Amino acid sequence: MKSKYIFGGVIVTVFLSLMIYLFTQSNIQYESDFQKIMEKERVVKATGSWVKEKSYKIDNENRTFTFYLTDDKGHQMKVVYDGSIPNNFEIATSMVVTGQYKDGYFHAKDILTKCPSKYQDQPSESASS
Amino acid sequence: MAGSILLTLALVFSLFSMIMYFFTFRGSKNTINLARISYHGMAMLVIVASAYLLYLILSHQYQFKYVYSYSNSDLPLGFLISTFWAGQEGSFMLWLLLTSIIGVFLQSYTSKRGDLEQRVMSVFALATTFLLAMVSPVLKNPFEYIWIHPIFLDIKSIAPAFLNLPFIQNFLFSDPSSGQNFVKMNTDLYSALTTAGISVNDFIIHGKGLNPLLQNFWMQIHPPILFIGFSMATVPFAFAIAALMKDDYKDWVRQSFPWVAAGAGILGLGIMLGGYWAYGILGWGGYWAWDPVENSSLVPWIVSVAAIHTMLVQRKTQAKGDGIGKFAKTNLILSIMVYVLVIYSTFLTRSGILGDASVHSFVDPGTVVYLFLVIFISTFILLGVGMIAFRWKSLNEQSDYQEGLLSRELALFTASVALGASAIIVLVGTSAPIFHQSVDTVFYNEMHVPLAIIIGLLNGLSLLLKWKHTEGNEIIKKSRFSIIATVLFTLLVVVFGEVHNIMMILLAFSAAFTLFVNGEIAYKIIRGNRKMLGAYITHMAFAIFILGVIGSSAYSEQKDINLIKGETQELFGYKIKFTGYQPFQNDKKYYFNIDVEDGGKEYQIRPVMYVSDFNMGLMREPDILNGWIRDFYISPSGYEDGSQADGGHSDVISLGEGEVADFHGAKIMYKEFTKPDMQAMMAGNDFKMGANLVVEKDGKTYQTESYMQSVGGQISYVEADIKEIGIKLVIGKIDPMSRKAEFTVTEAEDGVSHSVKPAKEVLSVTASIKPFVNLVWIGVLGMFVGFVLSTMRRLKESSL
Repeated sequence: MKSKYIFGGVIVTVFLSLMIYLFTQSNIQYESDFQKIMEKERVVKATGSWVKEKSYKIDNENRTFTFYLTDDKGHQMKVVYDGSIPNNFEIATSMVVTGQYKDGYFHAKDILTKCPSKYQDQPSESASS
Repeated sequence: MAGSILLTLALVFSLFSMIMYFFTFRGSKNTINLARISYHGMAMLVIVASAYLLYLILSHQYQFKYVYSYSNSDLPLGFLISTFWAGQEGSFMLWLLLTSIIGVFLQSYTSKRGDLEQRVMSVFALATTFLLAMVSPVLKNPFEYIWIHPIFLDIKSIAPAFLNLPFIQNFLFSDPSSGQNFVKMNTDLYSALTTAGISVNDFIIHGKGLNPLLQNFWMQIHPPILFIGFSMATVPFAFAIAALMKDDYKDWVRQSFPWVAAGAGILGLGIMLGGYWAYGILGWGGYWAWDPVENSSLVPWIVSVAAIHTMLVQRKTQAKGDGIGKFAKTNLILSIMVYVLVIYSTFLTRSGILGDASVHSFVDPGTVVYLFLVIFISTFILLGVGMIAFRWKSLNEQSDYQEGLLSRELALFTASVALGASAIIVLVGTSAPIFHQSVDTVFYNEMHVPLAIIIGLLNGLSLLLKWKHTEGNEIIKKSRFSIIATVLFTLLVVVFGEVHNIMMILLAFSAAFTLFVNGEIAYKIIRGNRKMLGAYITHMAFAIFILGVIGSSAYSEQKDINLIKGETQELFGYKIKFTGYQPFQNDKKYYFNIDVEDGGKEYQIRPVMYVSDFNMGLMREPDILNGWIRDFYISPSGYEDGSQADGGHSDVISLGEGEVADFHGAKIMYKEFTKPDMQAMMAGNDFKMGANLVVEKDGKTYQTESYMQSVGGQISYVEADIKEIGIKLVIGKIDPMSRKAEFTVTEAEDGVSHSVKPAKEVLSVTASIKPFVNLVWIGVLGMFVGFVLSTMRRLKESSL
């Protein structure tokens, strides 16, 4: 047995098993079905779009930002984010919020806004004359 | 048209060059000149096409979709140039341009080294062919006319004189949700304009502009340098395949070495310039977020660093007369991986597959481009894997070499395995979104701390070991200084740096060990052969970098804080005071001035906030007080002027006409929109626009209004103050088309408005300290210098 295989093998085995363990520990799934999010109450990345009709609220005292997200099926969910309104929030076509549903609303740690204007060059096809 | 013709011609030349080089390799006599001429012809065409694209951008030719989509006439020259690579098409173009130019140097380099040219260049021309196909008129062509695919243009970008044309009415659209008006540009409008004798270039007078986040000096240099690194990754791939083609594995390592070293140096610099940009502009306080896009360019870098070390072993073992040397297979595989991973990185970021996972990622470019990217990457994987499989038997016969347990070879190999493990970890985490999974940054951090410790220790150890075999007591003798110095340094870190986390102590120990071992050798060399310094400088810089990472990430402190104007507060040992804002750049942006006192010295930190014309979003730019020991980093999050906040609650709500909102027991109804006098508005005369409101609380209703008015060109907002219930309402953003408006509602404490109380201006910020972040930048620069030195040394050796 060549010594390089022993050394290489040990490192690879140790780190692969450590990786698999940590992967399962820190793994966060994407979820676009809000009903499941509300039932399971696990940390997820929820993808949806902002309910413009329900507006949003900025609470400067507690530094929270509250709004409603909807999924494709029309299920709505209240989202409370500990922080200020993200750049480009109003014009985002969709967003990904990371967090957990608990006590009747979604506690978001992170908001990622997807902006149409950044890389796409058309307003929504729903534009009408 | 001209641009597309140039690129199509270049594609033909590239393909022809590849075939001619291949024929030359197969033994044709007269084809080498044709191959060379067509390669240079291709490179010339690409350079001319790039110059043409730049000319179109600089002369604002908005009939080209790319120019319209990423630039406008207000941008200063520097940013205008950087729009060349702001979009998908242009960044492919930049990649192609740099690859073609590197190919010219590679051609000259290989032509002096026997039959290397035809083998290397036929593979290289395959890469340029793929890139040219990418920018060809069927895929991501930067020269596409704006009317080819229907596109909605903001009405502000059209010359007003033409809006009166009768046929324009058929192309006008408005988006009810945003209230913006658009002109639909398509082939019909194009023919209508042509018939009317109007050129599209006169019709469209303004572009969409450049994302404000990219309007930054570092964004002008980060992409080109990163793409030089990407382009240079083609070279080791070409050398590896060339060696496999000939079934000769002796010379290629020496010949490829300077290219791999230079490529790794430039790619690393490019990646970290992106990190420096993120630190200075994005405001979240760091330089590395383990974002999939960042990661995907890091992986090829790690692999090329691993390749450098195992290639070194192969060279050394060759010199000792052991045939092709050790790790020949490893080196071939790693060299092939470097470029395959670069293409994979492109695939991840350009295919839209990371859409939900990354801030930087592009949207879905369409099925055709997606398929093409899949073909691109599959071709290079199949070529690499296929060639290695084909030569596997022959490779096994040619390599046979044994080393002792305590040898530099083994230490270097183990280090490369550790680097490989790091690459796999990052790759797995980055690819997870493909399977709708994702990992937290904890995953990367926790995996890399032990790996970095191993790599640091191996680095020091490998330099103490001799090639082939070393006696145990010899190492102890040689390492005496380094070990004593490392232990002392670590003790200092623990005692004075108050580092108590065991993993961080080990990491500091391992980095210090690298630093002192390399430092000792460098000290000896500096009086001897200075050309040898490269590797030691890179290693020391890496150690410094790791120490900087420990300080700035593990020992960073962060706090959200509200700064009240004129009041001094203490934070992290600084005395800070918000002194007010100050408009600049024609009142478009605002500096928020913060006085900082640190140990008797006074400084000013000025974060910036503004509403961007580009996307109507609020942009926030941090500001940093750079210090030797630590940075004081302030990122603004919001600002309230005194008119609203007087101790009670304050909310911002957005409502449409007829809608109702709840506010702490009060019902606020936006009853009716007060229409502005359109004629007065257009003519620049005085006008007002706003909302009639009905507020209901405790069974009582109050009628009131809040509006925006323009008097003599001065715009002001008139608030509604319902003193009885202590509620103040002021209208903010109004969209006259959809009639939606934003209101800031303030409730005074105990329901009574304290209008006598002096107004307070409050700036909300996130403040943090970043200890030793400077070491990170010094480390990056040092590594780059080291790579340059070692490239120069290996370049000399390569022609032996």
